[in-house]
Amino acid sequence: MRRRYGVKKRIGHLANVLKATALSTYKEWAAYRNQMAVSVFVGPVFFLTQMFIWRAVYGTRTILNGLTLEEMLTYYGISAVIGYLTYDSADWDLQWLVRTGGFLTFLLRPVSYCFYAFAEKIGHRLLALLVEILPIYVIFFFVFRIKLIPAAPGWALLSLALSFILVFLTNYCIGLSAFWLTRTEGLRRAFLTLRDLSAGMLIPLTFFPEGMQKLLFYLPFQFITYAPIRVFIGHYELAGITLPIPQVVALQFLAVVLMFLLSRLLWYFGIKRFTGVGA
Amino acid sequence: MRNNLRIYLAGVRTALASRMAYRGDYFLSILIMLLVEMAAPLITILIYGNGASFPGWSMYEALLIQGVFLLGKGIAYPFFFGIVWNTVERVRGGTFDLLMIKPKSALFMAIVTGFDAEDLGKLIGGATLFMLALRRLPPPGVGQWLQFLALFLITLLTLFAYGVTLAGIGIVWIGNIRVYDIFHSLTNFGLYPAAIFSKPVQTVITGIIPIAILGSVPASVLLGRPSPGTWGAVGISLLFLAGSLLFWRAMLKKYTSAGG
Repeated sequence: MRRRYGVKKRIGHLANVLKATALSTYKEWAAYRNQMAVSVFVGPVFFLTQMFIWRAVYGTRTILNGLTLEEMLTYYGISAVIGYLTYDSADWDLQWLVRTGGFLTFLLRPVSYCFYAFAEKIGHRLLALLVEILPIYVIFFFVFRIKLIPAAPGWALLSLALSFILVFLTNYCIGLSAFWLTRTEGLRRAFLTLRDLSAGMLIPLTFFPEGMQKLLFYLPFQFITYAPIRVFIGHYELAGITLPIPQVVALQFLAVVLMFLLSRLLWYFGIKRFTGVGA
Repeated sequence: MRNNLRIYLAGVRTALASRMAYRGDYFLSILIMLLVEMAAPLITILIYGNGASFPGWSMYEALLIQGVFLLGKGIAYPFFFGIVWNTVERVRGGTFDLLMIKPKSALFMAIVTGFDAEDLGKLIGGATLFMLALRRLPPPGVGQWLQFLALFLITLLTLFAYGVTLAGIGIVWIGNIRVYDIFHSLTNFGLYPAAIFSKPVQTVITGIIPIAILGSVPASVLLGRPSPGTWGAVGISLLFLAGSLLFWRAMLKKYTSAGG
């Protein structure tokens, strides 16, 4: 009974920390909302280029790699929305704190840095939802006539939520590498490039050669963008493997759990190397 | 001129020395810059690899356009495009004043102190793609090379004009590093053959906003099929350059020194 009360108290404390951190991040970034609003221009312009490229490519055919032109444009539309929804800078923030020594102050706080950073992301993205994501969604829907309506809304929302967590955890793992490397910009850029490529952010993964698709199937990155897009569309296929949507979401959940365990492992070894001196 | 060159080289030396403090990360960054730039060519290769194409363009012709575009960026980014982040950061931090009190123009000092050693990776990537694509195409004649070099000079001047304009925006739009995103989204059109876009878009990117000059226009000359709007593209680029310098002066007058 006493133990259950302790757990309840702990959950209540975490909820309060989450609310306070998310709210303060929201207010802090609201001062820079015009920086976020740039996406309302940039997102549609990038999409416009994609539209012309794929219209030209589909000029002599109706189907390419199992996708029609409409499905291809929907793919890029959802990809853009997912990109804005799940964006975070946990990697940059952490490496900066380690490099400057400022991370020391977080070790004195009665809350884990990982949880704090995640709460910050929630606050940041809540603001983005109003300033960039919803306007872009409206532009895609009404100007470009891209049908951004999920085939199964429940599964799509769950998949987006898992993608949101997965992006945070993978970026957080990259940030943790600062305990070893101090300056991680190179690694960070390498990771982001490979992640975007293997997540299907630049082109659907079915465009890669068969062997590459098989490799990408077993990497967790497809669950960041490719899998949520497929869940959104309502059918999943990669490397000749077709899976029902609940199974895709279950695999996505597994990827989140594995990434969380990896982050704990990196933290366990990394924190022992932290000296607080900075560089 | 000689004095300016000496000052510029001193800036390059300082930037390299400071970046060499983290050699491992620096060389990794160069390699990554090279790989990052290969994203668009990779998409092109995957499209052609799946049996599709940009109508009227072979894969290597399309890659040559991207090679020219990336070569231009590869020269601009390390050597003078650093004025953008340098100005934005300095204006935000309030240290832009330090450039203004030097006995050289603020624009020149922003270029000198904005040398970006990491972006040399872009140059290696652009040059590699350009040469690889060119090797798979019929060799251009001397005349074509001369025309290409003249147009490529305009490409570099246009990129300089973009840099000056974005840096000028950075003086009044305090701390907004997303000016880079605006630049990338607009110039993304320059990575592909102008002919794949609709007529109104072709008109805009050739004769109104100088975008086709960054890749499609010079590459087409090298391929022996010059774009119909080549002269118009050159004219608008030179106008843009003059406009960007005037814009910089106007923005400099608005500088408040307050930071942000």
